Amino acid sequence: MADIPTRAAPPPLPLPQGWTEHKAPSGHVYYYNSETKKSTYVRPVATPPTFEPSPPPPLQPVASLGAGSSYNDYNVPTLQPGSDPKQQIENLIFGSAPRQAFQNTRGQDHSRGGFRGGFRGGHNNFSERKRQQEDRPKHRSDIPDCAPWVLVRTKLGRRFVWNKNTNESFWKFPSHVMKAVVEFDRKEREKKERRERGEPSDDEDATAMAEIEAELAAAEDEVQRQIVEVDGDEGMEEDEEYEEVEVTDDEGEEQQHAPKRQRTEEPQQDQPMEMGEDDLAWQLAQMEEMEGGFEEEYEEEPPLSEEDCKALFKELLDDTHVSPYTPWDTVLEKGSLYEDERYKALPNMKTRKDCFDEWAREKAHYLQEQKARQAKVDPRVPYLAFLDRHATPKLYWPEFRRKFKKEAEMKDGKLSDKDKEKLYRDHIKRLGMRSSELKADLTALLRSQTLASLHRSSTIDTLPPSVLTDLRYISLPPSTRNPLIETYISTLPAAPEGAAASAEEEAEAKKKREERKRREKALAERERRVQEEKQKQERDLAYGRGRLREEEMEIERAMRVGKEGLKKQLGEE
Amino acid sequence: MPPIRTSRASKKAPPEGFDDLEDTLLEFANKMKDAENASHEGKKKYETLWPIFQITHQRSRYIYDLYYEKEAISRPLYDWLLKNGYADAALIAKWKKQGYEKLCCVRCIQTKETNFRSTCICRVPREQLKEGQDIQCVNCGCRGCASSD
Repeated sequence: MADIPTRAAPPPLPLPQGWTEHKAPSGHVYYYNSETKKSTYVRPVATPPTFEPSPPPPLQPVASLGAGSSYNDYNVPTLQPGSDPKQQIENLIFGSAPRQAFQNTRGQDHSRGGFRGGFRGGHNNFSERKRQQEDRPKHRSDIPDCAPWVLVRTKLGRRFVWNKNTNESFWKFPSHVMKAVVEFDRKEREKKERRERGEPSDDEDATAMAEIEAELAAAEDEVQRQIVEVDGDEGMEEDEEYEEVEVTDDEGEEQQHAPKRQRTEEPQQDQPMEMGEDDLAWQLAQMEEMEGGFEEEYEEEPPLSEEDCKALFKELLDDTHVSPYTPWDTVLEKGSLYEDERYKALPNMKTRKDCFDEWAREKAHYLQEQKARQAKVDPRVPYLAFLDRHATPKLYWPEFRRKFKKEAEMKDGKLSDKDKEKLYRDHIKRLGMRSSELKADLTALLRSQTLASLHRSSTIDTLPPSVLTDLRYISLPPSTRNPLIETYISTLPAAPEGAAASAEEEAEAKKKREERKRREKALAERERRVQEEKQKQERDLAYGRGRLREEEMEIERAMRVGKEGLKKQLGEE
Repeated sequence: MPPIRTSRASKKAPPEGFDDLEDTLLEFANKMKDAENASHEGKKKYETLWPIFQITHQRSRYIYDLYYEKEAISRPLYDWLLKNGYADAALIAKWKKQGYEKLCCVRCIQTKETNFRSTCICRVPREQLKEGQDIQCVNCGCRGCASSD
């Protein structure tokens, strides 16, 4: 902000007798006459006094602070120590009663001063309005270690804390926030000192941000000045000058004063209080808008490409253990997909269907390969699977054999009838046992597997044959068995490096896992962004409401142009 | 006298891979049974056959997809399914032709059965229909099966 081009103020005219110059904590200069006990923002000039005191309209406090409360004449930035900051802020922003009073008196001035004075009046009015807009959140910084709380610095260098989540704000910091803020301040100070000493700051980002911010502020001021210049085009040169001083003055001020000190000078602000939600919200929105321009440049689109979305959806399908041979409609009817976040990764039903087809195709191939590999193994595997489905303690072996004699597993010649019978009898015997014992047996079986055959990347479909050919595996019904095995597998470490054959597969699986993690993170990120967007919209809404209110006020003010000016003129004539 | 070949007598065991589809096919069979036994009351005479056509279409499509699109089943299994009436071979034969990719039933392209030697209304592309015209063909209740839809 040091690079703001400031033009030197015109040499001030000497003040008339009895007038003294003061500076309000809000940064404005005002003038106080100890004799008449009047104060004004407008610099009094020795010869013809610009305006006569007319019947003083009742005044509300403007953002004037620090002066005695006894000045309640018109045009005076009076102070009421008890007045709440909310009121102040509102006054600052929306400019209420005092402004109108001010305007009215200026109107008189207009009538007397002719064209010139009129312009002045109008101009002052403009500056007044701008000044009123000036106290607003300017810089926002997250307080470290104090998550939802945000430290907001207003343009006038005052500070308050704002809770992002609950949307509360306090001038007085709550105790736990206070600590964090003190710490934060200390760090800032250190950083500043270091910078002054010319040492490279440790976080370049922060400085970069600060610079950008300064530039932005400068640009903003530039714009404001341009507005002023356009506005004051027809007016006098000095008016313009005056205006500029007004604008830049505050900026300089802010730099000179340590914000903390400034804060302590204002007794009222130490009262804990809440600002109006809406006001605050729209102020913050305003601030956000200011910052938003460059923030967006920094914010990168989360890396969630189309392939990622597809992969997410495929993972969802994998996780739900859908058979690739089921039609898409059936999968949808089951309704197990809807609850998952990953379901929403794809935008519409058509893409989902396409993705499902693709997945089914891949999966079917994969299963076929698996099957081809397993076809060579033990004939006991299909037989036991068959027993798992059909064996019941109600049937003796001869009955069972008769009932299922047409089944391929029963006809299978590779396994002798004797073995079949033995397996059946043992299985039936085991079915009578208690489930806790069966569970213990199953865990024992799983424990006895080597890490090479059973490891974290194995699934229910790819259990080693040593498990599948064991009676202990089928003793439990699949509904209790599968979760048990899955949880056990999830506790296992990855396959050992020594397994040379599976090393490549392992690497691939690892890569897949990493990819998956990344995608899930990206999805979460997207969710968060949506949430943020929602919040931002709400804020925008509040901001818009604030603007609307302001405009309404303005219109109201405009409508209330009194007839005093005309009357006065008539009276003079 | 040659032996009488009934479908039951000549039924061969399904080739490998049938058990993957078995559940779904059973579901279709159940649906079909329900449709066959459903009451005709309150329905128009031509409407009673619609669900039958629809289920046949779905099942044929399922098998067609598995074999041609997903390549998830083997040729012997596919042939076995066709032979055993799980899918309509004539319908699938049409689906392989350009312009008939979505055909609802073979009856809808049978021009000889219509008064003006034309196809069914459901074969008309939607953009050639009148705005907001909602059709459902008499043969199978199809709402439009032109390839461009």
